[in-house]
Amino acid sequence: MLARFLKATELDTRMLGMAGALLLIWIAFHLLSGGLFLTPRNLWNLSVQSSPVAIMAAGMVLVIVTRNIDLSVGSLLGFVGMIMGVVQADMLPRLLGFDHPAIWALTLAAGLMLGGVLGALQGIVIAYAGIPSFIVTLGGLLVWRGAAWWVTSGQTVAPLDSHFRLMGGGPEGAIGANWSWALGVIACLVVVTVLVNSRARRRKFNFPQRPIGAEIILGLATCALILAAVAVANAYPWPIGSVRRYAEANHIALPEGGIFIAHGIAIPVLIAICTGLVVNFLATRTRFGRYVYAIGGNPEAAALAGIDTRRVIVKTFALMGLLAGLAGAVSIARLNAATNAEGTLAELLVIAAAVIGGTSLSGGAGSVGGAMLGAVLMQSLQSGMVLLGVDTPLQSIIVGVVLVFAVGLDTVYRRRSAP
Amino acid sequence: MHKLAAIWLAALLLSLPHHADAKGKLVGVSWSNFQEERWKTDEAAIKAAVAVAGDRYVSADAQSSAQKQFTDIESLIAQGANALIVLAQDSSAIAPAVQKAIDEGIPVIGYDRLIENPSAFYMTFDNKEVGRMQARGVLAVKPEGNFVFIKGSSADPNADFLFSGQMEVLKSALDAGKIKNVGEAYTDGWLPANAQKNMEQILTKTGNKVDAVVASNDGTAGGAIAALAAQGLAGTVPVSGQDGDHAALNRIALGTQTVSVWKDARALGKRAAEVASLLAGGKTLADIPGAVKFSGGPKKIEMNAVFLTPVAITKDNLDVIIDTGWIKKDEVCRGVKPGTVKVCG
Amino acid sequence: MNAVPPLIAMREISRSFGGVRAVDDVSLELHAGEVLALVGHNGAGKSTLIKILSGALPRDSGSIEVRGAEATVGNPRDARALGIETIYQMLALADNLDTATNLFLGRELRTAWGTLDDIAMEAQAREVIGRLNPHFQRFKDPVRALSGGQRQSVAIARAILFNAQILIMDEPTAALGPQETAQVGELIRTLKARGLGIVLISHDIHDVFDLADRICVMKNGRVVGTACVADVTQDEVLGMIILGKCPPAAVPGPGAMVSA
Repeated sequence: MLARFLKATELDTRMLGMAGALLLIWIAFHLLSGGLFLTPRNLWNLSVQSSPVAIMAAGMVLVIVTRNIDLSVGSLLGFVGMIMGVVQADMLPRLLGFDHPAIWALTLAAGLMLGGVLGALQGIVIAYAGIPSFIVTLGGLLVWRGAAWWVTSGQTVAPLDSHFRLMGGGPEGAIGANWSWALGVIACLVVVTVLVNSRARRRKFNFPQRPIGAEIILGLATCALILAAVAVANAYPWPIGSVRRYAEANHIALPEGGIFIAHGIAIPVLIAICTGLVVNFLATRTRFGRYVYAIGGNPEAAALAGIDTRRVIVKTFALMGLLAGLAGAVSIARLNAATNAEGTLAELLVIAAAVIGGTSLSGGAGSVGGAMLGAVLMQSLQSGMVLLGVDTPLQSIIVGVVLVFAVGLDTVYRRRSAP
Repeated sequence: MHKLAAIWLAALLLSLPHHADAKGKLVGVSWSNFQEERWKTDEAAIKAAVAVAGDRYVSADAQSSAQKQFTDIESLIAQGANALIVLAQDSSAIAPAVQKAIDEGIPVIGYDRLIENPSAFYMTFDNKEVGRMQARGVLAVKPEGNFVFIKGSSADPNADFLFSGQMEVLKSALDAGKIKNVGEAYTDGWLPANAQKNMEQILTKTGNKVDAVVASNDGTAGGAIAALAAQGLAGTVPVSGQDGDHAALNRIALGTQTVSVWKDARALGKRAAEVASLLAGGKTLADIPGAVKFSGGPKKIEMNAVFLTPVAITKDNLDVIIDTGWIKKDEVCRGVKPGTVKVCG
Repeated sequence: MNAVPPLIAMREISRSFGGVRAVDDVSLELHAGEVLALVGHNGAGKSTLIKILSGALPRDSGSIEVRGAEATVGNPRDARALGIETIYQMLALADNLDTATNLFLGRELRTAWGTLDDIAMEAQAREVIGRLNPHFQRFKDPVRALSGGQRQSVAIARAILFNAQILIMDEPTAALGPQETAQVGELIRTLKARGLGIVLISHDIHDVFDLADRICVMKNGRVVGTACVADVTQDEVLGMIILGKCPPAAVPGPGAMVSA
């Protein structure tokens, strides 16, 4: 019966499988850690810790789909992060004054633009000079890492602007209970609207419809998941120190047990989710995304169809660079410091996340949602192991084994369902 | 940059007739990784002292690869270095290269990190003492409670020296049960982001019941403090560090970090260049002024060593580090509320 | 003779790769409502010539006229804009995408907001494929899951969907069985009756004599000769292909063997 339901709703079974695996891992860690893993606090932390890799994994999917790879994202993150650090700690305060409310926006804009431009530069070399992306981005990995050091001769830039810091999470870096519920409800409504719309369009063209029962269940289940996630975020209260400071600043008398101020959804998580939605939209509903998949499936066919393949490839790398810059902003905000070693080895995690999420390294197939789930899965493994007190070297071994296992499973699945 | 210069120099030297002057010695330095903040300061000091002595300086950066450092040392030998200063990435891995240099009569100084070869010289700040100072700094503020240890990289022997120094100071309190070790973790690559994640997980595990954090350097201290800040604990939980990073000194003024053990890298660099010159000029290891015997390494080999004393910088003696010119007062005092720190006014 | 200009007139087209002249001074004409078969041995330059016509390759020299007017066919888009559709030998389908996507590749339908109108595209796909292959149902599957004949239908559908006036078919029946070959033959006749001009590359002499009105033979990049199919025999055509010997009923080209 489940099989019929799955077929009726046209859901991606691989994605469901991965979600199932994630759930299993979570439950396992929860039991092994004596009930610490599936707590609002740990899940909230997990969501924030996964954000930078998730943001970049979304972009990496498109790059890999076009049969390319980007090994430079970690170094690019580090370099753009250093630039953003210097801009907000040094340049802008001198122009606008210390702690000016526009500093964070200008810094972020500068970082995104820089990331996009550098990514496009790599893309141009790859697409127009015909040098393999592996080599160009390997060069980028070395160049941007060196450049990151050069920005301040290796010195850490800290602390960062107080508004910019909010992008990294923490009690003030979350939107609070009310806004979270509001967003959750809006998300639900959007899901319902999409389902209804899709039915209407199908009716217009007299296409076979999905059974209404299945659609209702799908809609309800998705809404339930969204609201459950919001509830978890809202169940994580501010630490007592922050509550006290807040009460003092706002002249509120603090009762004996303190007040429950919920964190709500963390800002970096919101950024990651928005990134995922936007990139997924680009991939599935725009010509650009369509051309990305066409190039991955058959580059010659794409060219014969009149697609400017080189421009499309440059755009994928530009997007990747921009997302690396965004992930850089989140990373340095979280640490409240810009360091030249930030993002070291991140490219491996990002590629692993994308591949675990179902992106095929031979091109032509990949899902943004899967990649982000992959990022959460990898971070869950690492965070869970620290919770259990597993030694660092053993952690690396386990993550490596899981990666190969996960992709192996995916390969077997693909082979079995291939015609 | 250095590599290019080195290759040029090698080509030049190989094509010239070999001069064996007592003056104008070639001091070769093999760096492990220039990415960490402090080594640039050491380099500047070594270069200055080398210039004062009328010698020449040449170097190579191993970029955190032990294999590359092996090649770097061989290349420095080939360039005709009269003395080598080596900041080991992995001292066991480069042991054969070091032995080769020694066999060719080139004195080797193990810089800051121990190279356990009886014919090599060891120059460092007493890293165990650094660890002890870190623990003492934290203990002074919190004599009892739950302690967390944010250690360095498991691939760096210094991390264990620091930890053993820290444990030495805390041993009696641990044995008496006044202090409990509620969490310890190595920090992969000394990366602050990794320290932050580890600290977050330890805070979750202990339900925020943490009274003190003994962090092994300022970068990891920064990561730990970011995690504490997210739990509203920054400022109430003492944190130690090392290196005198500008960001860390600012944190000490702000009150979120308790102590940063500062090693005046300039002093170490200057001393190393002087010792290199003396050794290249023919002085024996034991005759170096200030040298002591040291057998505290893992293989218990007796070494000749010079130990410089680190300084523990806290809120109360920030003026010491400002006076040395290492950092400017307004950098230390950025964002500090007036009246809270003596030196900031 | 005709007041109506030919659909396509290629004049003295040349193209070299490295030092090799793949296409050497080739001229041919295609008229509406006719099938022109382009034949020759492997490496004669047929595929290169049609790639030039379809905009996939630039030419080194020569000119192309479409309906009497000089035309620039610099890229596949230009060709399509002129009404030239091509069915390549390897079909040029993106295997990982479904039928509707492949049909509209490069010319997607969009909604009022600029997003892809997948449902409208699927509707048109169903309609046009239904005309060719009424039993076809697998619209959601990626094209790699389809059989050879089904993939051929998709490639052909793509050509007729956009109201081609000139259709180029490179070995359309090479990978097909007898029944499907017959279907393709039927289709060609139907399109011819509708007034399309079709350039047909084929190795199969029987197909050529069955479907084509005129035949143009190439050898080593040059035209040996063109003739009406009714005026020559199969043996004479083979002679043209292999020896370059131009029979009396054919108009000789630059590649024809010069008799002593």
